[in-house]
Amino acid sequence: MSAPATTPAAAEPDFVQLLNDGLLAKFIEAVGEENVLWRRDELVVYECDGYVIAKNSPDVVIFPTTRDQLVATIKICHEAGVPFVPRGAGTSLAGGALSVGGGVMITLTRMKSILEINLRDRYAVVEPGVVNVWLTRALAGSGFHYAPDPSSQGACTLGGNVATNSGGPHTLKYGVTVNHVKGVELVLPDGSTLVTGGVVEDAPGYDLTGLIVGHEGTFGIVSRVIVNLARDPEAGRTFLGVFDSVDAATETVSGIIAAGIVPAALEMLDNLMIRAVEQAFGFGFPTEAGAVLIIEIDGLEAGLERESHAVAEIVRQNGGEVQKSIAWRTRKEPEYVAIWKSRKSAFGAIGRLSPTFCTQDGVVPRTKLPHILRFITATGEKYGLRIANVFHAGDGNIHPILLFDERDPDQVKQVLLASHEILEECVNVGGSVTGEHGIGVEKMEFMPKLFTPEDLSAMETIRNTFNPEGNCSPSKMLPMGGGCIEKKSPGHHASA
Amino acid sequence: MDRLDSELSENDLGDGLKAVGIDRPDSIGALQDAVRARSASGQAMFAQGGRTSLDYGGIPRCAGAIIDTRKLNRVIEYPAADMTITVETGMTLAAIAKVLDAENQRLEIDAPQADRATIGGVYATNSTGPRRYGSGRPRDQIIGVGFVTSDGNVVKGGGRVVKNVAGYDFPKLITGSMGTLGVISHVTVKVRPKPEASALMVFAYDDLNVVASDLAILNTSVTRPVAIELINGPALTRLGLPHSAWAIALIFDDNEASVAWQMQAIRSELAGKVVRDERDQASAPLQGALREFTAERIGPISFVANVPYSFVATLAMSVDSAVWAIQSHAGNGVVRAHALVDDLARLEADVVKLRDLTESVGGNMILSLCPTDRKASLKVWGNPRGDWAWSEKVKAALDPAALMNPGRFVGNI
Repeated sequence: MSAPATTPAAAEPDFVQLLNDGLLAKFIEAVGEENVLWRRDELVVYECDGYVIAKNSPDVVIFPTTRDQLVATIKICHEAGVPFVPRGAGTSLAGGALSVGGGVMITLTRMKSILEINLRDRYAVVEPGVVNVWLTRALAGSGFHYAPDPSSQGACTLGGNVATNSGGPHTLKYGVTVNHVKGVELVLPDGSTLVTGGVVEDAPGYDLTGLIVGHEGTFGIVSRVIVNLARDPEAGRTFLGVFDSVDAATETVSGIIAAGIVPAALEMLDNLMIRAVEQAFGFGFPTEAGAVLIIEIDGLEAGLERESHAVAEIVRQNGGEVQKSIAWRTRKEPEYVAIWKSRKSAFGAIGRLSPTFCTQDGVVPRTKLPHILRFITATGEKYGLRIANVFHAGDGNIHPILLFDERDPDQVKQVLLASHEILEECVNVGGSVTGEHGIGVEKMEFMPKLFTPEDLSAMETIRNTFNPEGNCSPSKMLPMGGGCIEKKSPGHHASA
Repeated sequence: MDRLDSELSENDLGDGLKAVGIDRPDSIGALQDAVRARSASGQAMFAQGGRTSLDYGGIPRCAGAIIDTRKLNRVIEYPAADMTITVETGMTLAAIAKVLDAENQRLEIDAPQADRATIGGVYATNSTGPRRYGSGRPRDQIIGVGFVTSDGNVVKGGGRVVKNVAGYDFPKLITGSMGTLGVISHVTVKVRPKPEASALMVFAYDDLNVVASDLAILNTSVTRPVAIELINGPALTRLGLPHSAWAIALIFDDNEASVAWQMQAIRSELAGKVVRDERDQASAPLQGALREFTAERIGPISFVANVPYSFVATLAMSVDSAVWAIQSHAGNGVVRAHALVDDLARLEADVVKLRDLTESVGGNMILSLCPTDRKASLKVWGNPRGDWAWSEKVKAALDPAALMNPGRFVGNI
């Protein structure tokens, strides 16, 4: 694996000199001194995101509070010809918010207004710094919700969700971010503005909204988002299925999908994860189990009974047991909240098992889940590593968590090799190296394994159309331009 | 739209133009060769599938060759248990449905003319039917795409797994791009299990104000219809339904118990009078008729307006039912209308007036059917939007010589 060069890309030779020569004054004039950080000790927080392996401090961090300030900031960067990178809450797990080569970081967390909520026309207009869960809270009790709910939703911003096309546990039935974005306003690298989509569903012209979602900051900075609001389900059932083995649990996942049931969520935790989560939250997970599945179905109460029986039967057929069955009418019921808190906070619990860990984000066809889980186990044994698994099983989106001690260089090396092999196997069986975290800087080397030179060339052409000078988010996503160095150690923290 | 294939000669490009040649590639490699050869001689290319939308869009800017995709009609991969299918571009929706039927699955796309419409054509034109309310649009089903650009290369985006954020989302970019970025070679789409039960109910109304309040109720109904169709009197007659000024047709798909419950529950929610109430196979003919009516060709002009959901009744109120047959996917803010008269001056005046109205609320109106000699003055794609300049830049990036379907799409694309 490789990470971006720590040597400056476009920013050299001396960014600090540029700042002192008037650039800093321009930024301060544009956004006010209280919204600019440039002292070295203040910048440390911004040297990485959730992908902590690659670190590089920006030279200055700007916090625009309005769209006009954002435009002014980008125009200053453009006129000075300096690189800049957007950042939301910094929860990216792939280095999407890494300031490769230094330069300007534009942090959107002070553009945090929910500008409009329209229930009759089922949309909301938000600024990029709105935290995902704030919108959920603003909609509580309205009968509507914003569907994508990444596990980091308590911290991650909607602008960041748009940049990485975030997912979460409920994407199996409800889709990912791109399925719920109706339009965006994008400030381009020259400071001009592009508005796509709108409050209506179809608009003549290319689906630029669809193209912009998932651009990982390489087209510009999203300054406003129109999101779709979905109806709350009338009712649901959330089951805790307990299994002796990971194999039995993954076979159950395949069995449920093959039976024509489309659950709202289908999440798996293996034994290592179960023990960590149980220690942390005491939800009541059976610590001796080989694996548990959180199986959620939702819809109309009138239709749920039969599907519930079918799910329970498939669990039993695979040697499992339904240990809990939570019938809910709203997602606020205590037992429901508790089980999802346990799941969504699983990464926080991993610290009890290991001082350091590295989370991967592969995808396989759902039918290949038993295979990839066996492969992960074998890979762990081969390299003498403990690997915990907690993931979106219904989507085939795995998150193996490789536990290690970063003080031991041998372990670090083994983790990198094991991660690489697991992701390669995902590609080999027809999957992908990222289901929701993005390519960022972490996975650029895999792009040529997923795509042909022709595919990548077309992507580069599109990037150059929006970002011709390459100053916005340089050295991200596409493996051309910008040097790469051998990665020396994997990342620490994660949530998914 | 909707001319019979037998009415067309094999070299029809649409809008009365004739092709200078026809290629009928039977493999993706042959498609690349054909595109490369046409490109080398500087010829424009017009991809055709089932030719159900031959006259759709602007007038071709120049003569060129037809790339007939119908021999690209194979299933590439169908892992039923993964609920995805990868097919070549020229497979018809009906042929795909037959393959999926064996596994009790279906496409979540109910575009009309399934026996002719190809999956590539559906994706190029973003064709949708009534069930888009429950299933989403074609963009929500596509997870992977391949398309042959004018240099003959296959460019791919997405993949074959349901969740994948590697690279730019070309599947979304290609959806609705009218074949102007390249010839679609194959797509991977999500499929879903067929519902156990289905029902169709029709509610009749005399007063559009009552319709408006029932549409608002449907937005928060205890039921979950998968289609909400608003139909005016002339359209009802053509659909063989009892006459009334307006009707709302609802489709429910789910398991047996849920569908039965919804059919009961909705009666007490809506003020309209139930005039049709059909289950499963008995509802199939009318469900089919609703789907096919979207592509009906009655008078010389048809339009599709996109407005906020709350504005559907207001727009409907402004459309003269003596002049237009209306079918609206009301839950999606889509109002379709087919002209009932031939008086072009009258129709043109209506188009201008109604387009102004839709644009005043952030919407738009395109003409899905328009006489060739009126396409320029009536602006089939509506008034220019701010983002068209960027559509033009994307076009120039992927098709620099402008050989793919020139003239058909927005702006100078």
